[in-house]
Amino acid sequence: MKKHLLKVAMGILISGALITSCKKETVEEPNEEEVITTMKLSFVPVGGGSTLTYQFKDADGPGGAAPIQDEIVLAPSKSYNVTVQILNEIKTPAEDITIEVAAEADAHRFYYEPTAGSNIVVSGLNNDANSVPVGITGTWATGAIATGKLKVTLRHFGGTPPGKAIGDLVNSPKSSTDIEVEFNTKIQ
Amino acid sequence: MVIANNAIAQPCNYLLSGHVEDVDTNEKLVAATASIKETGKQIVTNEKGDFVFTALCAGEYTLLITHVSCDTVVKKIILTKDYHIDILMPHTRKVLGKVVVNAQKGTANTGFKKELSGRALEETKGLSLAEALSKINGITILQTGSTISKPVIHGLHSNRILTINNGVRQEGQQWGNEHAPEIDPFIADKLIVIKGVDELRYGSDAIGGVILVEAKPLRNKPGHAAEINNAYFANNRQYVFSGMFEQQLKKQPAFRFRVQGTYKKGANATTPNYRLNNTGSEEKNFSITTGWKKEKFNTEIFYSHFATKVGIFNGAHIGNLTDLLNAIVAKKPNDVFLGQNTYTIQRPYQDVSHDLLKSKSIFYSGEHKFTILLAGQFNHRKEFDIVRSSTNKNPQLDLSIYTITEDLSWEHQKINNFSGIAGVSMMQQDNSYNGRYFIPNYFAYSFGGYYIEKWSKHKWELQAGVRYDNKSINTTRLKFNADTINYDFNFSTFASSFNTVYKPTENWKLNTNISLASRAPYVNELLSDGIHHGTATYEKGDISLKPEHSINVSAGINYQHSSKNFSMDVLLYSNSINNFIYQQPMPNNPVLTIAGAFPLIAYKQTDAVLSGFDISALIKPLSALEWTSKFSFLYARNKILNDWLILMPANRLGNEITYNLKNGKKITNKYLSAEMMNVMQQNNVPSDANGKQDYKVPPAAYTLISMNASATMVVYKTSVTVSIGVRNLLNTAYRDYLNSMRYFTDEMGRNISIRLKIQL
Repeated sequence: MKKHLLKVAMGILISGALITSCKKETVEEPNEEEVITTMKLSFVPVGGGSTLTYQFKDADGPGGAAPIQDEIVLAPSKSYNVTVQILNEIKTPAEDITIEVAAEADAHRFYYEPTAGSNIVVSGLNNDANSVPVGITGTWATGAIATGKLKVTLRHFGGTPPGKAIGDLVNSPKSSTDIEVEFNTKIQ
Repeated sequence: MVIANNAIAQPCNYLLSGHVEDVDTNEKLVAATASIKETGKQIVTNEKGDFVFTALCAGEYTLLITHVSCDTVVKKIILTKDYHIDILMPHTRKVLGKVVVNAQKGTANTGFKKELSGRALEETKGLSLAEALSKINGITILQTGSTISKPVIHGLHSNRILTINNGVRQEGQQWGNEHAPEIDPFIADKLIVIKGVDELRYGSDAIGGVILVEAKPLRNKPGHAAEINNAYFANNRQYVFSGMFEQQLKKQPAFRFRVQGTYKKGANATTPNYRLNNTGSEEKNFSITTGWKKEKFNTEIFYSHFATKVGIFNGAHIGNLTDLLNAIVAKKPNDVFLGQNTYTIQRPYQDVSHDLLKSKSIFYSGEHKFTILLAGQFNHRKEFDIVRSSTNKNPQLDLSIYTITEDLSWEHQKINNFSGIAGVSMMQQDNSYNGRYFIPNYFAYSFGGYYIEKWSKHKWELQAGVRYDNKSINTTRLKFNADTINYDFNFSTFASSFNTVYKPTENWKLNTNISLASRAPYVNELLSDGIHHGTATYEKGDISLKPEHSINVSAGINYQHSSKNFSMDVLLYSNSINNFIYQQPMPNNPVLTIAGAFPLIAYKQTDAVLSGFDISALIKPLSALEWTSKFSFLYARNKILNDWLILMPANRLGNEITYNLKNGKKITNKYLSAEMMNVMQQNNVPSDANGKQDYKVPPAAYTLISMNASATMVVYKTSVTVSIGVRNLLNTAYRDYLNSMRYFTDEMGRNISIRLKIQL
């Protein structure tokens, strides 16, 4: 009995010594955490014309160097089919996180909030499988020449099930913020 | 020798007699104190070394024998008839060990020491370590929901407190507010909080104090024993099962061992008005202790494994400041985060394990005692946040820390009223991260030495000690483009302490202490850089931080009336901390990220003062009735900004009445108790003048009522204790300032518990 127990004790000691000694001295590449560096809005004018892209880009992720943000400049009295894309450009090639958002559309929703006087109306947001807007694509209609702001927010519904509904506002307590970017807009 | 001679055994008329001798010299020990823990009775042995207790009821008793120059002997006795016991006290070693004695017994007490043991500890079985400690006056808890809690001593926590688990300094990721101590409270036989000279044995950085988690000594009597503890908590359907088996071999009494394990699982907790999803928890722990004890040599190997998985309420996920402000406005969380009564844990959750392997050997040589303590620890913390993709199985924060410590100490016996201890400590540590950056990879090395002497004579006891530590930290942070950012640090810290105890009479004890301590900044304070989602802030460390220096002055007054029907304990303290590291909001420099603008909180240094007092009193208006009252008050200021310090515990008043029922023939240790705890509102919070630090006024004051009832039976020579308790009896909806969930949810509602303890 005693011998057996001593063996057990020794075993523990040795395995403990192994645990503490087989740690690697090298700095391993950490498993990279998802970082969103970029939100890109692509504007395809209805009825032809060249595609415009405007973006918010924080090349090194949160902190560090300040992000670079475009001003959205659009033509008056025009309609644009707009697609939003979110990227992790730290990776090469850049990782398109929009694919994941689309795959879990029932837990995500983009909101577009133009300020009064910006003369921009956003409509026709695409829906998820439950016919609730997800907003990866939409239509932007411009009015007369104006300057203003437009806030793009991506909300994440964390509940199980997410319980996303048509009436959920941008500040719904059901969801939390993944992205919140306010662009300056100019119609000229 | 006193022998019972009553022919007809009446209930509660038994005698327990004993004879005390020194184990080696067979000298009859005069003036040894024999006490029965359950009844509180004390008798001093006569010139023949004999004692006798009369008028005892049948039942189980714990007999404690103490003698000035011996270790305390504890005997469990099941009394079914008159009983006599011969006690051999372990050999005299007048060394200053851990003299853990109950102040109320009026025996020697070194420095400031508050202890949780016996019945008070039993009532906390099934709770976390921090929750158990919060029974001690002056100790509060810092919480993240109902599943994560850590102790706060006089307003200080985390890196300012040292936790000593079985003699080993616990090394994990103790810096985080939501990082609870990784210790199974079922290991503990005693939880002790010390301040003053004895802190120096463990480090120079114990600015807030030291918590000792002390296991029961290994069995010192051939044979075996087992104990099973079960508990069930109705609120969150939490069940706890803990078992212990210990043995001393009859053929080889030098060899002793103990195995112990705990399993705990809880479902989602409910507040008075709603159940919070994802607040379950699970814990699996075990430990093995083996010991070999001879007269001149004594060695022990201890291994423990702790593993926990705790859910964090998913309605509290904060993406940015707007989310936090929205949450504050809401009266209660949205229904999608409420109502599930399940044990299932989803994201966000924490998965933490801690392994400790320790070997401790003691050699005696003449009047000297040498101790070698070697320990290895591995702590693995994984935090799983809410992620966009359900296919992502990775933790978002993944920290591994290995620590090896070596401690050598020498103690000398009391010579000319002096006794002392000196020692050296070394530590090597390797921390690495995976996933999100919060703190860097680092290697840390430290070495230190200390020397403590104690002098005692008649009514006086003086103690003094010094300690020096040096710590080197080499950090490496990996950047996205495979570059590394390296910083190296080196800190020297010094500590010293002086303590005076004066006992003018048997009833009074006056204690004063002055301690200097210094704490090197920790890596999170130097190098953290990232979003703290719980508070929607961007935290940034500062590599130019210098060590904190504290001067802590304390005074204690202890009075005990000779009848033992009244006692009082007062502790006054003032802790001045220069270079106090704290988080200062920088309102003019918000950090713009793709998730919006985050207020920047930078680590800064100031001069702070934390002063306060703890006062407690015990009154026994009747022999069966006990009333304890305790009050703790804290005043915590940032002296440079002339402002309050954030996140300081509110002042509180506790009152407890215990009624001890008369022991019956079969059922003993019966008692009923009711406790009322009043926690005031914390009005002393930083003003917005220096930048907004908090977005919600601290929660209102609240009152909680708890009750407990317990009884012990002897069934087939097995002692069975059944206890029933209820916490938050009135199902009060309240929030606590020191719980980070105060923005979102109420605290747990009524919680009825039942405990069953079986001693075989």
